[in-house]
Amino acid sequence: MSPTIDLSQLTEAELIRMEREIAARHIDKFPYFSVIWAFTNTAIWLSLWPLVFMGVIPLWLGFIIACFNITLSYLPSHEAQHDIIAKPGSKLRWLNQLVGHISIIPLVLPYRVAKYTHMEHHKHANDPEKDPDYATHADGPLSAIWKSIYYRQPRADGGLNAYGSALERIGRPDIVLDGVIYQLIHFGILFGLAWSGFAIEAALLWWLPRHIGLTYIQYYLSWAPHHPGNESGRYRDTRSFRSILGNIGSLGMQYHIVHHLHPRIPLYRTPQAYWEMKPILEARGCNVHEL
Amino acid sequence: MITAIKIIFYLGPLIFGFGFLAPLTAQIISTAGWTLPFGLTPLIAGLMIGGGLGLIAQIRGTWI
Repeated sequence: MSPTIDLSQLTEAELIRMEREIAARHIDKFPYFSVIWAFTNTAIWLSLWPLVFMGVIPLWLGFIIACFNITLSYLPSHEAQHDIIAKPGSKLRWLNQLVGHISIIPLVLPYRVAKYTHMEHHKHANDPEKDPDYATHADGPLSAIWKSIYYRQPRADGGLNAYGSALERIGRPDIVLDGVIYQLIHFGILFGLAWSGFAIEAALLWWLPRHIGLTYIQYYLSWAPHHPGNESGRYRDTRSFRSILGNIGSLGMQYHIVHHLHPRIPLYRTPQAYWEMKPILEARGCNVHEL
Repeated sequence: MITAIKIIFYLGPLIFGFGFLAPLTAQIISTAGWTLPFGLTPLIAGLMIGGGLGLIAQIRGTWI
């Protein structure tokens, strides 16, 4: 189907059927790249510590690599959160869960916290009361970056700080404990390193790259694909957009609308699925004008 | 146990100030080779700066 074809005369049922047929062609493809990415990225980040401590690479280089590592740590886990690597009950389910847990360790975000709050985001995208990521809504790019940092402050009530109340609302306060344990271990390691004479190393290999990574992730995974974020509903709560850094620089989020419509399509197949679906999305009145 | 954890998280900024910013500041001063006034050691200066920033963040509820 040509991306410019006009399907506005088709019925609702016909549009649904066509959309599902396209989605079906992209679902259940094993995301080899995400699995390799998860383990390679985590291994590189872990290896930075001995490499910097032993003087094999300079700290400034370790810092730059750590910023990339931590920024890239979320997406493989995101694939696992949607059971894209392996569905519950399947033979490779252990791999799905392993990737989910391992890849976001550098981000200090427990897999279960990420998964349950992310499912709430999908259910209630742009709902000020129920979307756990609603705090990232902002008028423009600079405001989005500021809000990402602002809502990470100790007594802020949005951003990651809102995840606890989201988990309590859905009846899973037990998962808050995962976050508490992760935070205690994270700060325990930072304090231990700092008082052992490795404070600058701890700051530049973990603490600061994590904040830079979180800001980048919240900008491109949460703010940009939902902006302006004032509508709800399956075809209106997200969009496609053109990033000045391209699809790779935006962490694959230019085609985020496809992800919200069909969350089990692997990240690497969303561009192709988007171009195949675009006439349907236009007929639906989706915000796909930028791309 | 839960009460203890709640207290730790409530005092997070202050603990972070003394636990991390203080030794970080001390290490930066030492690495840069700065000479401090009044015969202050890098660690004492770190505790004053890191602890002070932590105390301010604790009272204000924000680092920024």
